[in-house]
Amino acid sequence: MSEMCVDNPLVLMKDIVKVFPDGTIALRGVNFELCKGEIHGLLGENGAGKTTLMKILAGLLKPTRGEVIVKGRKVKFRSPADALRFGIGIVMQGLSLVPVFTAYENIVLGSRGTKPSREFVEKLMKEVGLIVPLDAVVENLSFGVRQKVEILKMLALNVDILILDEPTTNLSPSEIRELFKSLKKLREEGKSIVFITHKIREVLEVTDRVTVLRKGRVMGSVETSKTNPRELAKMMVGRDVELLIEKPPWRPNGVALIVDELEVMGDLGVPAVKGVSFSVNYGEIFGVAGVEGNGQIELAEALAGIRKPLRGRIVMNGDDITKLDVSERYNRGLAYIPEDRKVALIMEFSVLENTPLTEISYNKELVNRMGFMKIKRIVEKSMGIIKQYGVVTPSIYAPARSLSGGNQQKLVVGRELMKDPRVIIAVQPTRGLDVAATEYVRNLLVKMRSSGKAVILISSDLDEILGLSDRFAVMYNGRFMGILEPDKVTDEELGLMMGGYTYEEIKARKV
Amino acid sequence: MPELDLLGGVLIQSTWAMMPILLAALGEILTERSGVVNIGLEGIMLISALFAVFVADKTLNPWLGVLTAIGIGAFIGLIHGFISVYLKGNQIISGLGINTFAAGFVAYSIEVFWGVRGYYTPKPEAKVPRLPAIGVSPLFLATIAITIVLFIILYKFDIGLKIRACGENPEAADVVGVKVELMQLTSTIIGGALTGLAGAVLSIDWLASITKQLPAGRGFIALALVNFANWNPLYGLLGSFIFGFLWTASEYMKNLEYFTRAIPMPLINTIPYIATLIVVAGVIGRSRPPQSVGVPYRRELD
Ligand SMILES: Nc1ncnc2c1ncn2[C@@H]1O[C@H](COP(=O)(O)OP(=O)(O)OP(=O)(O)O)[C@@H](O)[C@H]1O
Ligand SMILES: [Mg+2]
Repeated sequence: MSEMCVDNPLVLMKDIVKVFPDGTIALRGVNFELCKGEIHGLLGENGAGKTTLMKILAGLLKPTRGEVIVKGRKVKFRSPADALRFGIGIVMQGLSLVPVFTAYENIVLGSRGTKPSREFVEKLMKEVGLIVPLDAVVENLSFGVRQKVEILKMLALNVDILILDEPTTNLSPSEIRELFKSLKKLREEGKSIVFITHKIREVLEVTDRVTVLRKGRVMGSVETSKTNPRELAKMMVGRDVELLIEKPPWRPNGVALIVDELEVMGDLGVPAVKGVSFSVNYGEIFGVAGVEGNGQIELAEALAGIRKPLRGRIVMNGDDITKLDVSERYNRGLAYIPEDRKVALIMEFSVLENTPLTEISYNKELVNRMGFMKIKRIVEKSMGIIKQYGVVTPSIYAPARSLSGGNQQKLVVGRELMKDPRVIIAVQPTRGLDVAATEYVRNLLVKMRSSGKAVILISSDLDEILGLSDRFAVMYNGRFMGILEPDKVTDEELGLMMGGYTYEEIKARKV
Repeated sequence: MPELDLLGGVLIQSTWAMMPILLAALGEILTERSGVVNIGLEGIMLISALFAVFVADKTLNPWLGVLTAIGIGAFIGLIHGFISVYLKGNQIISGLGINTFAAGFVAYSIEVFWGVRGYYTPKPEAKVPRLPAIGVSPLFLATIAITIVLFIILYKFDIGLKIRACGENPEAADVVGVKVELMQLTSTIIGGALTGLAGAVLSIDWLASITKQLPAGRGFIALALVNFANWNPLYGLLGSFIFGFLWTASEYMKNLEYFTRAIPMPLINTIPYIATLIVVAGVIGRSRPPQSVGVPYRRELD
């Protein structure tokens, strides 16, 4: 993959390996080349290693192995300050500005020697076409403007290699258009840009070349003009060896849940779920796939009753539950396994104290009418969970914090399934678990489904979705791109849907 | 006019009552602005006060005592900073350690240094002379100057911007090349030095003695003042003045029989604390701490 640039490459990363202290191998021998004056897309799914690779280039991480050559010189950065000296600056995923500072203060924060004057910053803004209100406090600015502040901040440091980590997240379509215009302008001025994303559309729109990462490996590096969405999608997504999950045949048995035109507000004050409709049957696992942050969490929270929907209806077992609160929904047989174990468990509480948490408000077997807890019953139940679900803990009196991640998850899953629910919502149920625990939890979900329960599985792990679901949807930007069966879809189609093309568009060969 | 004389006397006394609290609070404002919390102010004051007496008493030069106190404060700040910033230790425990160590160390040292128990009074020459005419300490003028300088540095110079960025969002500072750890360590050292100066004010300027309880909680009042002052040196000045004034006034009140008969003594003692709290909180309104204070910055494990 060498000899791609006309001149010598500006940045050359050779055989980069990164092993994190916890043993995670994020990069497995990656080669990467950035040419002068290009916008280079770095494409890949969640966890592919995009951020890790660029953090190494920006001096925020040290590679475990491999060489980095910048402008012809071998470098070993020990801090972002070192990278800046070579003209490399990074705009982090999720941004890193000082919220109480003004835009101007943020822009000049890193200056060495004398602080750039306002006139200088104003001139810079005009030159690159990024105009921001300099005296506004950053926390009052929209994400689009913050993104501009971030870029200006790097330009004020005279950076000529600019790394943008998923800069379009949280931006509106018009803000994205504006951003792309500025990036092209920066390219004309001779800046080189690395543009990290998992959106194929964006790669095609703004980059000159693209490198695709998958699971810590480079799947290819191509000129954007010589590729197409289908090829990129195929490189990005790839199915792993089949999982060892025994799945009896699918026997849907009556409608458990109907979701109709659901709209849910996100944390940023814009709708995160934008009109989603589907139904789930008893005896079925319904998967929701997609890159993280496309509204999956908000969807799950609306189903569980934690987030009030803006619009739409949720019908469970024939009853409209849209207006019911969380405990009322639990009481009617809903179980919710949230993505974050720190939400599901109170880490400082013991296993015992965590046991009744999600049913304490209605289960008269555990709490009497006066509100006294029936400790004996709770102890029995706690012991039951530990035994039945194989939670490894010194005792039920040990704090949840002291359990390993896998055992915490087993505790959560066990607690929810012991309630004998009818509808189960599981969000990223195997995230951070080792192979054995992952398999255990997955088998459990299949068992639930085969015993006639309805399971909604929300996961960004495609293998998990494809291996477990009977039907699944791909979510993108708050909408479903299609509802399909796992063995009737190609990797290419999947990748395209995750990148924002609807199934109809793909089938109609409009891509 | 005796009332005016009284008021003048109270005002001059107030300058001393406010100084230790203000200096320690200024030090802590700087430290916390950079993102480190140091609850060991009480301990730093105490140890610095001890060495100020020791050196001033030996050399009969109060200024050497003052410098020593500053140096000791800086040294303890260095240790705390190193533990907090580089070892990523628990800052509360480190601060508690300073306080605990100080209590034992000073009680013991008073015996070792002077062969007395609990209490030592240095020679009169060891005390900082007062400014002729106005009768306040030269250190008072220095304290006011430090307040203003600190304010200007924090809000008008780009070094101040960098320090504050470290306390708000160290990652943002890091990616633009600010040396976060160095900023934090330096701020903690200077914070310690200012608190050391507060100790010298107590032992060889305002009073002329060292006991193992010399700061009498002033380190903790300073910590509270940092909050009420919204991490702003000028509000710190205001708060400490109100406190100093009310504290002195309440001391006067204790000598007046018609007051002590009407209000029980312990209640009089609480007046300066409560009143300061109300006034400062009222003036400043809701305070907003630096968002990353007390959290060690790690650039991810590598
Ligand atoms: N500090 C860390 N310690 C341990 N593992 C980590 C750390 N940072 C990242 N990882 C792991 O390394 C892998 C690559 O992560 P990275 O953040 O580079 O992915 P990415 O391609 O940027 O994904 P995304 O699109 O979600 O941002 C993931 O499996 C992730 O869990
Ligand atoms: Mg990333």
